[in-house]
Amino acid sequence: MIVEASVDGRVIRVEVRGRGPRYEVVVDGRALRVDVQETGHRFLSLVVDGRSHEVGVARLGQGFSVALAGDTFQVELRDGQSGVASTRAAMSGPVRVAAPMPGKVVRVLVGVGQPVAAGEPLVVIEAMKMENELKAPRAGRIGQIDAREGQAVEAGATLAVVE
Amino acid sequence: MSQRAFKKVLIANRGEIAVRVIRACHELELAAVAVYSEADRGALHVARADEAYPIGAAPARDSYLNIERLLAVARACGAEAVHPGYGFLAENAGFARACEQAGLVFIGPRSQTIAELGEKTSARRLASAAGLPVVPGSLEPIADAAGIAAEAGRIGYPVMLKAAAGGGGKGMRWVANPAALASAVARARGGAQGAFGDDRVYVEKALVRPRHIEIQVLADAHCNAVHLFERECSVQRRHQKIVEEAPSPFLTPELREQMGGLAVALVKRAGYVNAGTLEFLVDAERRPFFLEMNTRLQVEHAVTELTTGHDLVQLQIRIAQGQRLPFAQSELRQQGHAIECRVYAEDPEQGFLPSPGRILGLRVPGGPGLRDDSAIYEGHEVPIHYDPLLSKLIATGPDRADALTRMRRAVGEYRILGIKTNLAFFERVLRHPDFAAGDYDTSFVERVLAQPGPARQEPAELAAVAAALTAFRERRAARAPASDGGASEWWRAGLAEAQRRL
Repeated sequence: MIVEASVDGRVIRVEVRGRGPRYEVVVDGRALRVDVQETGHRFLSLVVDGRSHEVGVARLGQGFSVALAGDTFQVELRDGQSGVASTRAAMSGPVRVAAPMPGKVVRVLVGVGQPVAAGEPLVVIEAMKMENELKAPRAGRIGQIDAREGQAVEAGATLAVVE
Repeated sequence: MSQRAFKKVLIANRGEIAVRVIRACHELELAAVAVYSEADRGALHVARADEAYPIGAAPARDSYLNIERLLAVARACGAEAVHPGYGFLAENAGFARACEQAGLVFIGPRSQTIAELGEKTSARRLASAAGLPVVPGSLEPIADAAGIAAEAGRIGYPVMLKAAAGGGGKGMRWVANPAALASAVARARGGAQGAFGDDRVYVEKALVRPRHIEIQVLADAHCNAVHLFERECSVQRRHQKIVEEAPSPFLTPELREQMGGLAVALVKRAGYVNAGTLEFLVDAERRPFFLEMNTRLQVEHAVTELTTGHDLVQLQIRIAQGQRLPFAQSELRQQGHAIECRVYAEDPEQGFLPSPGRILGLRVPGGPGLRDDSAIYEGHEVPIHYDPLLSKLIATGPDRADALTRMRRAVGEYRILGIKTNLAFFERVLRHPDFAAGDYDTSFVERVLAQPGPARQEPAELAAVAAALTAFRERRAARAPASDGGASEWWRAGLAEAQRRL
């Protein structure tokens, strides 16, 4: 199995071979021997060429949530044989700005057609007693505004699209 | 006098602090009554209490802030005392008064004391009268913009605008120069009205890179008052603390004694009863300035418990029962060192944006010198309605260096799966050379953020490997002709493995 994993803004190519509990894993061309043991619900002990890691893994949305020593990552997998790396395309195509959590739209700071710089605040939503600015993921023009002031939004709801 | 013996305590709070108070009640063989909103039926404080009653809808104003509802539950279940925890109604004089009038023991100071010390300018006047140095600025709320401008000009810029009814860092505005004052006053008023329903503001001189150090006090109803030394709370984001420690690496023994003495002076002057905390700013010349008094238990009380050996929540309850303090000032010692990290459901990479959701997996650190005060579990849904605090992780050691290495070890053991947390950020704080040297002030978090984070290449690759292996094993398990759809992944994977061996 060959997959492309997007983690932390990077795409990592991973090939897995073998029948378990020992697998051969090739990470961006580097071959590793990985011994896998389940250690309770959603936890794995991974011994990678002798180095030991306690890792939590759970399916979450379209991908996986992975908990390592003092850090949590979101990982999305795509089939690496059919897929073409598309990180470059994502930098120029329309980018959706979605609500990261359920909350209330407090302010909409931009209008349709307006040019925006990367990092410019677009929408303010209030959740967990705090106001949070959602910023433009890249420079571009506002193609669409879905957020209305005062509106309650669910996690993942589209608020605006930057083109 | 509302102090008297009681057997059943209603806890007017939720989450980890409700669990903390339940533990103290059980250790004192008192019955603990939980209350819960519609969002909190699955919360741990409900499961751990002796009795539990619903109090309304998820928004706090419909439940944890609903005084009539709380009193009705207390009456109906026969609770004789109320512990308010921190936040919600803990510093609401109206709630304390309502408890007093309903014949309930409020585990905290008298309502009149809460009112006097809760209004920030009245607290500043009281402190000033008791001989405490206060941050230069107005001792009364100032109604008109011209008056604020005159006071700001007198004390000199930069200045801080603060809500008279405020607290918890809400509604504070930093003003660099006279040109920025007018709009800042308007926004501070708006913020104060929104947060506290009271738009009165006052002005204080903004100290440059101060340290935020607080003194824990305890007083009984028999005129005995002591301090339990300091907590250093300068590591803050959004004016809210995320790391605390005791002792402060900044205080000299002389300054510690001086600040403790000042704290006790205010307690005596105010006729204060129960636990409380005096917050001070200490400038670079080690001059302390009284900031405000919190008339309740603090979030970070555990670092004091672990360095003095005394249980503050039990003592709060004993004081409310009319008992005398079991020690004199001369019997109190600070021993060893304790550091607390507040683990929040938030994303430090996105300006500490809250990250609620379901905890899909959990591994809690253990071993020597650790305490984890939390109310989370695997499967727990962190509600969006309240403060996103998940856990308070506290490490102790014989000295600061030991406590620090122990905390680093503990943060590395923690696994919280399914939601974003600030655990990785603690890694950056705890490894920062200035933190290790004890050389930090309230601007420290900005300094940490200004530096590039650690290289995450290796962990990112490990995460990719773990996800790919999981997908691969799931695919293998699904292909195996296991007919039992309800069997666990582990069982199906094991079965597939066995079939391959045949």
